[in-house]
Amino acid sequence: MIQFINMLLIGIGAGSIYALMAIAMVLVWRSTRVINFAQAAMALLSTYIGFELVQKTGNFWVALPLAMVLGALFSALIEIIFIRTLIKHSTSGPVAGIVPIIATLGLLGFIRATIGFIWGNQNVQIPAPLSKIGFTVGGETIALSPMNLLVLLTVIGMVVVLGYIFQKTNLGLSLRASAYAPEIAQLAGIRVGAIRTIGWAIAGAAGAAAGLLQTVNGTGALSPDSLEFSLLLTFGFIAAVIGGLESLPGAVLGALVLGLVLAVVQIYISGTLVFIVAFVLLLVVLLIRPQGFIGAKAGRRA
Amino acid sequence: MLKKHPLLGFIFFGLILFLASNRVDELRVFQGATVAVYVIAIASIILLTGYSGQVSLGHGALLAIGGYAAALSRNHWGVPVWLAFCIAVLAAALGGYLLGLAAARLSGPYLAGTTLALAIGLPSIANQFSILGGEQGLAFDIGLPPATLGADFTQYKWFFWIACLAALISIYWLRNVMNSRYGRSWKAVRSNDVAAELAGINVGRNKVLAFTVSAGLAGLAGALLAMTISTVSPGAFPLTLSFSLATGAVLSGVTTLGGVMIGAVTLVAIPEIVDSVVSRFQSSDVVANNLPGLVVSALLILTVLFVPNGPVEQMRARREKRAKS
Repeated sequence: MIQFINMLLIGIGAGSIYALMAIAMVLVWRSTRVINFAQAAMALLSTYIGFELVQKTGNFWVALPLAMVLGALFSALIEIIFIRTLIKHSTSGPVAGIVPIIATLGLLGFIRATIGFIWGNQNVQIPAPLSKIGFTVGGETIALSPMNLLVLLTVIGMVVVLGYIFQKTNLGLSLRASAYAPEIAQLAGIRVGAIRTIGWAIAGAAGAAAGLLQTVNGTGALSPDSLEFSLLLTFGFIAAVIGGLESLPGAVLGALVLGLVLAVVQIYISGTLVFIVAFVLLLVVLLIRPQGFIGAKAGRRA
Repeated sequence: MLKKHPLLGFIFFGLILFLASNRVDELRVFQGATVAVYVIAIASIILLTGYSGQVSLGHGALLAIGGYAAALSRNHWGVPVWLAFCIAVLAAALGGYLLGLAAARLSGPYLAGTTLALAIGLPSIANQFSILGGEQGLAFDIGLPPATLGADFTQYKWFFWIACLAALISIYWLRNVMNSRYGRSWKAVRSNDVAAELAGINVGRNKVLAFTVSAGLAGLAGALLAMTISTVSPGAFPLTLSFSLATGAVLSGVTTLGGVMIGAVTLVAIPEIVDSVVSRFQSSDVVANNLPGLVVSALLILTVLFVPNGPVEQMRARREKRAKS
């Protein structure tokens, strides 16, 4: 019983961080129709900025929101400088479909190498702001520590805020409209270009939060080659896709399902199999329900 | 004459390579073998991406299948080397066929992400089953070069000969396939799948076939890669390998086979050039570790933005334009 509860807790904890990454992917996909494979590198950069801020201020609670703001600015900058050029250049021809994929992949390598230049390839350490020892319930230690609780609360908070922005504000309406039909939105007076940049900025902030929380929730070690980030990249993508790639609730749902499935595998079978199980889960969902858990009907198949 | 008889051209090029291998030192010979391996792997990506319009970021996984299949068959059944390579091709082609069945249903970014997940996932299987040797991997020994080649014929030169021969044969064969009915069908599917279907081409079957052939070539490259480093292990097929191969394909130009050498040579040469620059200026480790990645990524971004069809295609287009005006 206690093992089962722990499994649930681990799954939800891991899933909530993937959810942030998946949200970032979904926001970028909705605003520019680009899967941003560089998302993990951008999150990594924001995490390094967070590390610097923790060093300077000594306070994680100041560093987290600041890193998110800087992550958002950086992401907006990438959109303005890089993605706009990209869209202008990749008009037609046989390779038009693969250009964004390859370009974001190049960006991934570029940002990673730049990080290596600035901070070196050795691990740096971000101390955890809260205890990572699990709470004790009825004499048993469960897999929920104050740190996990913080992660969960942050993620829930962000999802609620984003949900509010998307459903209740004018900005959210413009974001949804320009994702749904950019040309009609433009005719209705929405500045689609600016809205795109905002979508990227929010994605950057979500990615920054995912990177920092993932790092302090894990070992606290950070390096340009760290496994944690290929993990974030793949699992964020998988979560976004099985959730439907179009909807934010879908992304969260997909991430939680992924987190729970991986927790089951990790606890009852073997920790080394998580990657291949994630791949199989992705493949099965894509083949059986290609529109994802929550998603539009068309457009996913070739 | 060479234009009319491409086979003669290939044989001539091969002769030059084999003669050259006697003139240069061991390190260059080893790098030459690596280039030959990359040529095959990049050609397989060009076939898949440029000719059938499917993206794979996970070719490293298919290389791994080929490498493991070759090593397993040689270690357990003691098959001859050439048969081990054939088994590698078949095993990877089978994997590619299964993946292709799924891939034919997915478009652009979905396929890219799925193959990416495979590239990360597949090597971890090796740690799960003891027959695959875990983190250390398996030894893959193709034996000493035949004694008839002389006593001073080194192991690396033998690797180089095998890899180059394999690369020449594969490219020649692939070139013919591209000009055959299949190649034309793939091009049609890539350019406009609806129109291709109307013209009577079975789009799904053609995509799966392209994936299978591409995977078979990747398997051969994997077995050759395992040969040059004498082992197969999960560490030999990291995600960065898949990324470099995709990079090499883009640098070569994904729409023609003609530039396949460009990408392969660039992938091998850039770390080498950067190394010499770094030692010349006596820069720190940080620079040495990150400069190759930075240069390759920058090249990739610039290529994809400004010459998305690759240098060879770009030059051809420019020539045609000049001829017209």
